[in-house]
Amino acid sequence: MSKHHIEVTPEMKASDEAFLEGRTVGGDRYIKRHSRQARWTHGVTVLCCIWLMISGAFVFVPPLAQFAGSDVVFFFRMSHRVIGVAFVAVPIISAFAAPAGVKHIIHNNICHWTEDDKKWMILFLPYLFLAKWVHMPDQDEQKSGQRVADGALWICGIAMGITGVILLLNSTIMPVGVVAHSVLLFLHDLFFFVMLVFALAHIFLGAGIFQPYRGMWKVMWKDGLISESDALYHWGHWAREVLGSDNGVIRKKKGE
Amino acid sequence: MTEKAILFDSSRCTACRGCQVACKCWNDLPSEPTAERPYDSVNWDGKFTHPADLNSCTRLITTFNDFESESSQKRVGWAFGRRACQHCTEAGCVNICPAGALHKDPETGFITYDQSKCIGCQNCSSACPFDVPRYEDQGGKTVINKCSGCVDRVAHGMKPACVTTCQSGALQFGDRDEMIALANERVEFLHDHGYEDACIYGVDEMAGLHVIQVLKHGMDAHGAVANPSIPVTATLSGILKPVTAVGAGATVLGLAAMFGLAAGYKRDTLVYNDATGDTISLETGEVTKQGNGPDERSVKEALTENLPFVGSKKGGDGDE
Repeated sequence: MSKHHIEVTPEMKASDEAFLEGRTVGGDRYIKRHSRQARWTHGVTVLCCIWLMISGAFVFVPPLAQFAGSDVVFFFRMSHRVIGVAFVAVPIISAFAAPAGVKHIIHNNICHWTEDDKKWMILFLPYLFLAKWVHMPDQDEQKSGQRVADGALWICGIAMGITGVILLLNSTIMPVGVVAHSVLLFLHDLFFFVMLVFALAHIFLGAGIFQPYRGMWKVMWKDGLISESDALYHWGHWAREVLGSDNGVIRKKKGE
Repeated sequence: MTEKAILFDSSRCTACRGCQVACKCWNDLPSEPTAERPYDSVNWDGKFTHPADLNSCTRLITTFNDFESESSQKRVGWAFGRRACQHCTEAGCVNICPAGALHKDPETGFITYDQSKCIGCQNCSSACPFDVPRYEDQGGKTVINKCSGCVDRVAHGMKPACVTTCQSGALQFGDRDEMIALANERVEFLHDHGYEDACIYGVDEMAGLHVIQVLKHGMDAHGAVANPSIPVTATLSGILKPVTAVGAGATVLGLAAMFGLAAGYKRDTLVYNDATGDTISLETGEVTKQGNGPDERSVKEALTENLPFVGSKKGGDGDE
């Protein structure tokens, strides 16, 4: 949002003042951003993902495997398989349970990039280092950067799920051959690397470790609500549309 | 001790499979019922090789490769082979093993292993150009099973079990240089007796194998792997580990820098009056945006307008 001073007419100024007074009576506004199912799916997937990364590390990092010993690594390997199945199955079950949600996610991630989207993407890296001074353009429901990052996480997750399931079948009931095994292992490792980088960034921003994103964890891990102010800051275009329509807007007084 | 090698001379092999039996006996490996595995429709390849390939309890097999002979009297020719671990000098399996279960025996150069360390990940099979490692089930836990070169016997001054039992003299054991010299001698002899395709295998492959083979009818006839190499993907997987560590470390450092630079960040609380389309700062009462139109600043303006000493405005100090 720009720092340029904006002139308003006396009528509008009066309306704004009346609005500010009125809102103290009605309470703060929050927008419903994520459904309970979306939050549960995200939560289970995140926990699975964390466990998969930890258990996978016992095979991926040789000193760790050697330090832990074969019995401990065996436990982690087996848990990797069980949790891996949950990691694949839970989003699929969730998708079948809410096809409209899937359509919504796809629509948000694969849509036309506006000028604001492009500008946001260009400014994102400088913003990360100069957040106090670089003000980002408004965004729709899904930021352009979110589309890139979420897209990468989706692609990596799907690729790791597919390669993981084939690797599991390879070592149990359906051998795929040495060459395919080698290729699958490499792809599993490669997508792990990409996912790790995006996941770290996702945690940094999504968990609100980065100061401008403080409190964002509540949107996915608490009640799925985002405050009016945060919504305007992060997804300005979307927030104004929703606040204007009053659909999905909840008012809460302090302490509620 | 100098590096050792097993010499397999296919021109002397009678395919009696005594070596297979000796291997099983010494290593206490069970035999498999014929009806269940080797000749079933899935595993049987129509040849006399038995079992059809290495498996969880068979570390060594004699292979039967038939070919059309040029001789008018013997229309079918046989090229016997010895299929087991080749004990590579550049052993991809050792490099890729995350558990340190596979290692090169410093005394002999043989690739041996410690089953108690094996975690059953089967990464070694993905790095072996000869498709050798197999895995046995030990109470629900799979562990590697392959030729160890009988390093336990060698350590006690004995020859590997397969070599000890070979009656035709097709298998010999000794210093690697000596075995190579014997193999060269034999190949020369075979050439002199009309076997032009006879060749030696294992001198340079994988930087030198510890199983040297005299292949009487040439590499193809005996089913030897031409130009074996560690699969590219296995090599890349090896490279990927440090790359991932560096990548993750750099990402964390970058994020830490972002966190540090954003210390003290704060911004105004924003509210939206949809009646006027004004976005208002609750702290100052100032309108920060009118309507919901696109951002009109250029990228340069957006970057510099609030930077201290650069933009036309005073530093924002995070009070957006």
